[in-house]
Amino acid sequence: MQGKFKAAVTAARAGTFLALLVSLVTVFLGMTVVGAQADEGNDAVRGKSFVIATDTTFAPFEFRDASGELTGIDMDLIREIAERQGFTVDIKALGFDAALQAVTSGQADGVIAGMSITDERKAVFDFSNPYFSSGVQMAVKADDDTIASYEDLRGKTVVAKTGSEGLRFAESIAEQHGFTVKALDKADTMYAEVTSGNAVAVFDDYPVLAYGIDQGNGLKVVTPKEQGSSYGFAVLKGNNPELLAAFNSGLAELKADGTYHDILVDYLGTNAPAEDTQVEGVEGRTFVIATDTTFAPFEFRDASGELVGIDMDLIREIAERQGFTVDIKALGFDAALQAVTSGQADGVIAGMSITDERKAVFDFSDPYFDSGVQMAVKADDDTITSYEDLRGKTVVAKTGSEGLRFAESIAEQYGFTVKALDKADTMYAEVTSGNAVAVFDDYPVLAYGINQGNGLKIVTPKEQGSSYGFAVLKSSNPELLAAFNAGLSGMRTDGTYQQILDNYLNAPEGDSGTLSFWELLVESFPALMKGLGMTLIATALSLAFASALGVVFGFLKVSGKKVLQAIASTYVAIFRGTPLLVQAFFFYFGLPAALGTQIDVFTAGVLTLSLNAGAYMTEIVRGGIQSVDLGQMEASRSLGLNWMQSMRKIIVPQAVKIMTPSFINQFVITLKDTSLLAVLGFAELTYQGQQIIARNFRSFDMWLIVGALYFIVIFALTNLSNVIDRRINK
Amino acid sequence: MSTTKADPIIEVDDLHKSFGANEVLKGISTTVRQGEVVAVIGPSGSGKSTFLRCLNLLEAVTSGTVKVEGVDLTDAKTDINQVRQKIGMVFQHFNLFPHKTVTENITLAPVMLGRMNSKQAAERASELLGQVKLSDKADARPAQLSGGQKQRVAIARALAMKPDIMLFDEPTSALDPEMVGEVLDVMKSLAAEGMTMVVVTHEMGFAREVSDRLLFMADGLIVEEGDPREILANPQEPRTKDFLSKVL
Repeated sequence: MQGKFKAAVTAARAGTFLALLVSLVTVFLGMTVVGAQADEGNDAVRGKSFVIATDTTFAPFEFRDASGELTGIDMDLIREIAERQGFTVDIKALGFDAALQAVTSGQADGVIAGMSITDERKAVFDFSNPYFSSGVQMAVKADDDTIASYEDLRGKTVVAKTGSEGLRFAESIAEQHGFTVKALDKADTMYAEVTSGNAVAVFDDYPVLAYGIDQGNGLKVVTPKEQGSSYGFAVLKGNNPELLAAFNSGLAELKADGTYHDILVDYLGTNAPAEDTQVEGVEGRTFVIATDTTFAPFEFRDASGELVGIDMDLIREIAERQGFTVDIKALGFDAALQAVTSGQADGVIAGMSITDERKAVFDFSDPYFDSGVQMAVKADDDTITSYEDLRGKTVVAKTGSEGLRFAESIAEQYGFTVKALDKADTMYAEVTSGNAVAVFDDYPVLAYGINQGNGLKIVTPKEQGSSYGFAVLKSSNPELLAAFNAGLSGMRTDGTYQQILDNYLNAPEGDSGTLSFWELLVESFPALMKGLGMTLIATALSLAFASALGVVFGFLKVSGKKVLQAIASTYVAIFRGTPLLVQAFFFYFGLPAALGTQIDVFTAGVLTLSLNAGAYMTEIVRGGIQSVDLGQMEASRSLGLNWMQSMRKIIVPQAVKIMTPSFINQFVITLKDTSLLAVLGFAELTYQGQQIIARNFRSFDMWLIVGALYFIVIFALTNLSNVIDRRINK
Repeated sequence: MSTTKADPIIEVDDLHKSFGANEVLKGISTTVRQGEVVAVIGPSGSGKSTFLRCLNLLEAVTSGTVKVEGVDLTDAKTDINQVRQKIGMVFQHFNLFPHKTVTENITLAPVMLGRMNSKQAAERASELLGQVKLSDKADARPAQLSGGQKQRVAIARALAMKPDIMLFDEPTSALDPEMVGEVLDVMKSLAAEGMTMVVVTHEMGFAREVSDRLLFMADGLIVEEGDPREILANPQEPRTKDFLSKVL
């Protein structure tokens, strides 16, 4: 926010601040007391047993070691916390989606599964304090040199885990970079997709990717961390508050005595984030910190008049961690800088960009926020989606801001006019009133404004980033700077940092959680119909191929020739004697890996279902033919018809009549079996249901709807088949 | 009916048939002449049905030869489907095609094998149904017929191909007693028209009255053969005597 010209603070205002400070201290004390009570509240969990759901494989957070024992960061944390807090845990490894559903359905008390804390989830779950700070990275096959950035993904397919941050991030950039995202349920399936060449890249949380690569999954990471998120332990909203409290106090204890850090080192080795270091010389001291008056969301007053914001939360948390106290003075941006240069204040935190000019005067901390300029337009304006659409129009930006600088830099190229204004609300009003079509500003500022309902929407990616830093006067207060850096690093590690950002920057809870059953049905209907369409197409194709296979192999079986019978019997034995799912994995992952060719999921799915159902059809055809009285063949042959003529005119018509009920039965089975292909990411009905539930957690309603759809379709088609059967096979 | 001067139409020489280790026919040699009606009797398990089924190769022959109109059926080069068109067969359990009407049962083979067009076949079927006195059942399905009616349709079906020879495999055994007569009547009139017939039967009356020659089989061999009246009245072999004492 360089170049913000703020009015100097008045004496009266400073007075208000003292009063505020007192109230803030009171709040902190209150929080401490609450914390202490949580410790005492452990009696509420002592001796109890809780069912904790987790993912099956999300190394290094949960996975089975060589001896089959469920282990990992999550497991070590929850077990250690349980031991310290005196309760026992019954851990159920269900898979990520299933773990969340177990909690929502009351099958489990809590879930710890490398689960990012998101607003959507907050609508359904109560989260613990964050215990790990993650971020999404992209990995490709280790020997793939063609994909080095998102731009290289155009026209390609990538994979991510159902319901994960990786999926969310990939989907958010999919359109921009022109690639397709496929959601899968399991880490090994995802890696197999990439190594087999079915997909070119995988998006996942960095520790997971790092661990997998460490274990030799044949991938490599090619992009920096994106879209950081914090992992939390969760319980169903409003349930098990004592368990949540016990987790938080246990976690605090683990952090305090270093056990937490030891656990991370165990699994991440050198990749483990550094431990909180206590900087010497700040403990017990009080520092005066200057800041801006209003630069939402970094510093502003909330409804009750308290100074809050990202900067405020950061400096206060760091002070607490490092054992010093802060006396915050909200002076306005320029005044805050002057207060530091004049020695009135020890440090400044005010959404202050780190620039070379300022480095001449100040010593900066590590950057604590990466900003960037974005363009926002009126929420209902669909005509402006890129800079190209600005030709001949007017845009606004804040005087002296990066946004203004950027807008001016591209104004000539795109042929628009830039108007500089002093205040955020004036700028937004210009846009909503239609005087200007767009506003350029730092993205957190825009995001916060939109969050607060200013009626705009963001339409472009971040541009011209700059980093914010905490600053002290050059060569003074080095211990304060060191303490800030150490505290910040600690907060990044354990996710507190991300949580603070999320508090201010994330969109408010969507209303998806409050949808009625009918609204949910209406909202999910298009996706479900698409899935149902895929289900029916796959079923129809598979049955057609299966019938052909069944006829061929069925006739081989009744041919009376030993070699041909052996061929047919082998085919049936293989496909009836192995699970459909194993066959699907084999055709989708195994075969392409062995042959070096790629099979898309639709082909692999239909191939699997065809061959599988073909085995059963073979037996149906054989059974149908053999159930026709032998005398029919003899009578026909005795008249001089040859074997083929007899089959065609005499045996098969009678066999078909006998086979029809079995055929209808197989049709229903195959239709239902398509649901198994969801694990390959084949976008049929069950898969669509899973994806919707991963988003809104309405497992009861959604599975009811999906089940009903299957039932209706199968009921209708079965009845139709029976009518046709009766009409043809009179 | 005099038979001595007619040409041989079926010549069986040292016919052996085994099912696995079980030898069912142990060396059968006999000749059937044009227009001859041969009745084959014997206890169950004697091999008489198997013998009959070897005559159109519904059973593969283990060794020996079967010649029909001079063509050796056991020769691999013989087109058995061609030969079978000249040999009609009637089964104990009728084996009508249940998914076809009576007329369709009769017309199927002639049309399919190109012997007649469908119009000709339909006329032939109508004529044959008249012969077996079932003109009113032309459009019925087999399931709507009595056993006797089914067997008469089966005979008509076999005759549709205008065969030179008719084989009957216990044609009345599966019938209720009151229906035996109507089937035998049809067979009698066939015999009277000069059809060459080999009939495996338990109907001693039919054998006596209609057949020109009687074969008594036991244990895979022809034990006694000759004029039906003589054998039935005065059997020479102990096993023939024993059998006839039980059935007569």
